[in-house]
Amino acid sequence: MLTPLLVIPLIGAIAIVLYPDAKKSWVVATVFCLLSFGWSLYLLSQFDLSFGGLQFVEFHQWVEPLGLNYSFGVDGLSLPLLVLNSLLSAIAIHTNRKDLERSRFHDSLILLVNAGIAGALIAQNLLLFVIFYELELIPFYLMIAIWGGKNRGYASTKFLLYTAVSGLLVIAGFLGTTFLSGSPSFEIADLQVQNLDSVPKLLLLTALLLGFGIKTPLVPLHTWMPDTYVEASPATAILLGGILAKLGTYGLLRFGLQLFPDTWELIAPVLAVVGTVSVIYGAMNAIAQQDIKRMVAYSSIGHMGYILVAAAAGTELSVQGAIAQMLAHGMILALLFFLVGVVEKTTGTRDRSVLNGLMNPIRGLPLTSGLLILAGMASAGIPGLVGFTAEFVVFQGSFATFPIPTLICIISSGLTAVYFVILINRTCFGKLDNASAYYDRLEVNDRWPALVLTAIVLFLGIQPNWLLRWMEPTTTSLAIELHRPAIARVAAIDTIHQP
Amino acid sequence: MDVVTLASQLNAGTIIPEGIVTLTLLVVLVGDLIAGRKSASWLPYVAIVGLLGAIAALFVQWNGTSDTIAFLGAFNGDALSIVFRGIVVLSTIITVLVSISYVRQSGTSLSEFLSILLAATIGGMFLCGASELVTVFIALETLSIASYLMTGYTKGDVRSNEAALKYLLIGAASSAVFLYGASLLYGLAGGETQLDRIGIALSQIETPAIAPVVALVFVICGIAFKLSAAPFHQWTPDVYEGSPTPVVAFLSVGSKAAGFAFAVRMLVTAFGSLTEQWHFIFAALAVLSMILGNAVALAQTSMKRLLAYSSIAQAGFVLIGLIAGTESGYASVIFYLFAYLFMNLGGFACVILFSLRTGTDRISDYAGLYQKDPLLTLTLSICLLSLGGIPPFVGFFGKIYLFWAGWQAELYGLVLLGLITSVISIYYYIRVVKMMVVKEPHEMSETVKNYPEVSWNLPGMRPLQVGIVLALVATSLVGILANPPIDLAKASVQRSPILQASISPAKEVAVSRFAPVQSSEFRVQN
Repeated sequence: MLTPLLVIPLIGAIAIVLYPDAKKSWVVATVFCLLSFGWSLYLLSQFDLSFGGLQFVEFHQWVEPLGLNYSFGVDGLSLPLLVLNSLLSAIAIHTNRKDLERSRFHDSLILLVNAGIAGALIAQNLLLFVIFYELELIPFYLMIAIWGGKNRGYASTKFLLYTAVSGLLVIAGFLGTTFLSGSPSFEIADLQVQNLDSVPKLLLLTALLLGFGIKTPLVPLHTWMPDTYVEASPATAILLGGILAKLGTYGLLRFGLQLFPDTWELIAPVLAVVGTVSVIYGAMNAIAQQDIKRMVAYSSIGHMGYILVAAAAGTELSVQGAIAQMLAHGMILALLFFLVGVVEKTTGTRDRSVLNGLMNPIRGLPLTSGLLILAGMASAGIPGLVGFTAEFVVFQGSFATFPIPTLICIISSGLTAVYFVILINRTCFGKLDNASAYYDRLEVNDRWPALVLTAIVLFLGIQPNWLLRWMEPTTTSLAIELHRPAIARVAAIDTIHQP
Repeated sequence: MDVVTLASQLNAGTIIPEGIVTLTLLVVLVGDLIAGRKSASWLPYVAIVGLLGAIAALFVQWNGTSDTIAFLGAFNGDALSIVFRGIVVLSTIITVLVSISYVRQSGTSLSEFLSILLAATIGGMFLCGASELVTVFIALETLSIASYLMTGYTKGDVRSNEAALKYLLIGAASSAVFLYGASLLYGLAGGETQLDRIGIALSQIETPAIAPVVALVFVICGIAFKLSAAPFHQWTPDVYEGSPTPVVAFLSVGSKAAGFAFAVRMLVTAFGSLTEQWHFIFAALAVLSMILGNAVALAQTSMKRLLAYSSIAQAGFVLIGLIAGTESGYASVIFYLFAYLFMNLGGFACVILFSLRTGTDRISDYAGLYQKDPLLTLTLSICLLSLGGIPPFVGFFGKIYLFWAGWQAELYGLVLLGLITSVISIYYYIRVVKMMVVKEPHEMSETVKNYPEVSWNLPGMRPLQVGIVLALVATSLVGILANPPIDLAKASVQRSPILQASISPAKEVAVSRFAPVQSSEFRVQN
């Protein structure tokens, strides 16, 4: 059931190389992307909503001496992300296509990335996860280095080094988890984490937190991210921010919270503080930016902070909010990067002090500006859009555990509104400079991906149940796992007090 | 002693593979003598057929008898030596494939080159199984002297001469040191030359004596020179840069594999009682090699020097498996060398092809190559990424197996250092990939702008193409199909009595904490 998610894009990547007409590579790429998107929707339809464990499990022995198995499965945490992955790949292929050089290579790299991320999301074996996690590195590096902006050499190297260090920490953490606990193999189901003492557990969790924290990115580890997002082409930025960064938070939930529940509970206050700092830092920096793409990049740091706060709180509702926020943020960020990419391509600048009056219905970019306003509203958490749903669940779920960090987060979601108002005010409103505003007409390709994303953002905002229903059983079992020690303590107190 | 028992004691059947290679060497020499210059067109294929015959003979031996001791204990044809001899022969086959057009273009005689290469192979193969000091030394010197000759093979090239002289001087010095160490062993063991008897004699020295340790250090000097492990690496970059590239390809894989086989046998059998000491010394060598190799490689501008430092670093990684000293440790050494064979020779094959077509090996001259030669770009990229340990290529699986075995043997520091330095290594490998793949057409180097039309019909180019495609396929697929080679490596360790004796009970207890025994109990409870 899950293998097609891996095989379809890989075959697609090879098919593109073999397809004779380089200019038409996007057709092949789209076909394969839609196939894998369709397959992920089919999985969604077959998904058993009443069961919190792994579904569609596949298991084959692979490299037995290493304890590496071909072992796949999905639950409510990974399945929605898989759908997002296929969706964003299709969007990325149609982003900024005009005059794309080396389009064949570009499209096969996107499909490779798609396969890699899908593999990481469904892998149920630590080594298998590492393989897919590291597989991303080279395609993304090449995408940034070939199709990036002016400073792409610097940005791509920085991305490479940070991501490689992230992979290193994750491998070290996994090797440690398996061998120190005496687990028989790298299967997640086989891990005997309970055999570990608290100090090794803390060390291993720290290694994993740092590793996934770089990918997410969380605040002290984020310095690669603004450079990379800004220098990357819009298509690359959509994939980087929309889905690759989610592998970081996915790792935090899957390998932090799920594997080390009691240690997670121990350090949760620290994580909540780190998350809150990320939120404030991202918002403040976004306000200060002149470059609108950089503004969007910093907004992403802030929104990833919510996920960490919610994951730290670890209640059923907050974890659900964290996953919902991953999806919502993935779509909204992709939309923002797409629109900013269109603005940049048409006007030739990203400087908010130069841009003006794009709302102008005749010579401006009315549709793009309108969608930009909508995307800004979604990102700021205006009710009726998907961002609100996710943030509301995050805040509601986290408030009981961490009232003060949650309050600070709520306040800084107001700051989000501040910088989006600045952005929209400067770029969309005002008077269009008639002297320079001779823009090319937009093509169909510059419109429909944004419209599709907007439609989904609107639909899930009005019908939030469609967003939240998938993860409910999984988050319930996760939260029970996390609070088992506390429940046991309460039970123990109860038995003492009973005569 | 009658003839029959003598024949059974000699057990000459164990060296049939070496015999086949020697026969091939003679055929090549005589063929050249009779047919003259024209023979260059078919002699390489004779050599390859002979080497394939040797592989077949090794295969028969693998499934064959259990009586492996030959020549009254001078040579041990056990499973370990079979696997290492196989790696040496394979590396020679690929070297022959990639060297034909290079040697032709350099204007020197191909048959002479082939016979020296085959002589080096014979030396390397004997070194893999030699278990007596005199045999060890003769095999070592056969390999070394043939290597000196090959490094200076392009006589007209000043750099090749310089490389040969440097290699000869440093090699001779290290041989002398090794010989001195061997003479100490001979004395300490009371006139024994067989490695296992030396081992027994050394273990009976009870009082802490300095002499065995001195002998150990001297022997390790000789070994580390062959492995080009830091700080015995100084010859590597200069020799790699100056020598003909196919020779470097052989030195970096075949000669190194023989060196590892020799290291395992010598240290495990003769110095079994000094395990702690040699583990300590090798840990130091591994640390230095990983740090120095990877750090200095960052600054290189010549492709061959880059590969030289990378090979120093790779030796450091492999040493982790050796120090682990467990079954999976030795198996990971064998598997990694097998992986290294394809990815490193693939890299060198690409460097040879590029220098044949352009006459340069500066990294900056590779800029924009993807437009002119996609196959070369793809193969070199994949081989380098595999050396850097990027999945899903074979290098990743090899490295993860080494680190896995190291971590299991509680070598946390070494494994962490290995992980960190492999991140550094990704940086310099990808620098080359970036040069080839990322550069825009207008950033293309002058060399690539004048790149000749890709044509495989020139004499000697087909074998080179075969070598490149073979390396490409093996590097991409052996990782995914890693089960059979790993099983083979494990089986060779399990079937080698010397290793079974050395895998110390203490280590096994330590490892068994991780073994399924305990955890299966947990499973039952759950």
